[in-house]
Amino acid sequence: MELLLQLIVTTLQISAVYILFSLGLTLIFGVMQIVNFAHGHYFAISALITVYFMPWLVAAGFPAAGAYILSGAFGVLVAALLGLATYYFGFRYFQRDMVGSFILSVGFVLLFDGLFLELFGGAARSVPSLVEGTVSAFGVYITGQRLLLCAAAVSTAFILYLILMKTKLGLALRAVSIDQEAAMLQGIPYNKIALAGFMLAAVLAGIAGALIAPVSIVTPAIGADYIVKGFIAVIIGGLGSIPGAIVGALFVAVIEAFGGYYYGASTATVATFFLVIVFLLFRPKGLFGNG
Amino acid sequence: MANYKIQSWIIFGVLAVLTSLYFSNLYAASIVSSVAIAALLAGSLRFVMLIGELNFAIAAFVGIGAYSAGVATTMLDISFFLAIILSGIVACIISVIFGSITLRSGGPYFLLIGFAFTEAMRIMFSKMEVLGKTSGMIGIFPPLWLDDWLSLSAVIICLILLFALYAIEKSQFGIILRSIRDNPDVTRTVGVNVLYWKVACFSVASFCAGVAGALQAFSNNVISPGDFSYLLAVFVLAYVKVGGESSIAGSILGAVFLVLLGEFALSMGAGEHIFYGSAIVIAVLFMREGIIGIVFSVIGRIRITRTAKESRA
Repeated sequence: MELLLQLIVTTLQISAVYILFSLGLTLIFGVMQIVNFAHGHYFAISALITVYFMPWLVAAGFPAAGAYILSGAFGVLVAALLGLATYYFGFRYFQRDMVGSFILSVGFVLLFDGLFLELFGGAARSVPSLVEGTVSAFGVYITGQRLLLCAAAVSTAFILYLILMKTKLGLALRAVSIDQEAAMLQGIPYNKIALAGFMLAAVLAGIAGALIAPVSIVTPAIGADYIVKGFIAVIIGGLGSIPGAIVGALFVAVIEAFGGYYYGASTATVATFFLVIVFLLFRPKGLFGNG
Repeated sequence: MANYKIQSWIIFGVLAVLTSLYFSNLYAASIVSSVAIAALLAGSLRFVMLIGELNFAIAAFVGIGAYSAGVATTMLDISFFLAIILSGIVACIISVIFGSITLRSGGPYFLLIGFAFTEAMRIMFSKMEVLGKTSGMIGIFPPLWLDDWLSLSAVIICLILLFALYAIEKSQFGIILRSIRDNPDVTRTVGVNVLYWKVACFSVASFCAGVAGALQAFSNNVISPGDFSYLLAVFVLAYVKVGGESSIAGSILGAVFLVLLGEFALSMGAGEHIFYGSAIVIAVLFMREGIIGIVFSVIGRIRITRTAKESRA
């Protein structure tokens, strides 16, 4: 029983970050019909910058929490700028062109891989811990740090959900993803909305990166693992679907936590893939997909 | 009767064979083989693009071919040419199973699952005891009498398969494939089983990928799981995009150009990632039709000015 609870808690921890990731992917796909593999690099740059600047700020005399928030905010800002640059110089010209945009994003992936390696070096890094101690309840242990970050990720996902469901911007984003032309006929400025959706997704990835930095070992290649999992989550849920992205992320996290505990991490990754294949046999367009 | 441009193919083939005969030292011969393999892979990737799909599983099938060749040679003592054909067939069979599930939805689903398949196969290679785990397989040698002629045989095999892909593209089969890309629904209404032809196209391409993998195994003698990551598929994509996807000549040109330039750039100390990454970005943003597009437009302009002069004269 305690083991089951512990695994469920682990699942929730993992899924929090996957949800942020896959929401961004599905948002971009829904609005612009593009598959963006460089999304993992908005995440990676934010994590890298957080890990780089936090020890520096701590050394300069800042308290740990303040240093983390400052460097995390800077990471998110840089991730947003990187997103803006890739949008402005590239993806702007490839809206509704899935193959073209994908190829472009793969080019960006290689380019950023090389550049990050040059800039940050290949060594793995981590930051000093923010919150000491562990919390235990019902025989389940979780470090205070992870609990805090998990809460932050869940509330970010919730805020995004509210933005999408309750605000005018969210309504426009959803309208565009259902039918672009009909949305434009209703007076929705498509280009502005596409940019807003793209930036929203890039900022989400940046936040996820800043949140993952303290609880994981950060290397320039950190984006690649998450992008694969994120896309698998989105495929399960159905591309473009918001509830689908959340359900898919939970599904991937369950396999990773339970499969990883019983059979090891790499078996869990392979199992995820085969389960997706079986899943596609019955639902070729994912759980909530229709287009 | 379709026009197969036999003359151009013969000239190109003779040139390729002469090149591989001319470069007899070990290093140059290995570059010649890798150019030939790259060209075959580019042709294979482009072949699936005929139905409008991007086949990122290609790296997995190259890996399957290479490991099949490794097993066939080091454990089963199967002869060289048989091992190569066998590798293609193994890749082909797996691709039929994989394709008949994933090609039902196609588009982004096919693309992303192909990507995941590549990663899953790479992990499987590195976990299986028989296949040497992460260190891979060693000692995949061609027979002794063939040692000096390996690059020549690689060039000839790749030429034959590339011509086969070209001939298929020009046949009825190719017409069906392009009609599927342009409008699958209309194709279905005239009684074509779209899924069947998509899978057929995918399996032909995967056969070529498997053979290319086997050739790579024989030419490097060593294979490891890291050789078959998604980066392989990205590099092949770069060949196709930089060369131009409008014709198979473009893909071949792109492969030759980028492999040689890449070899040069690496010897200058540039990073492989930055090199291929910028090649793709530049090709996609600034030359949509690739090198071959530029070549064709120059030829076209020369023809126009020539006819203009003739009509004036």
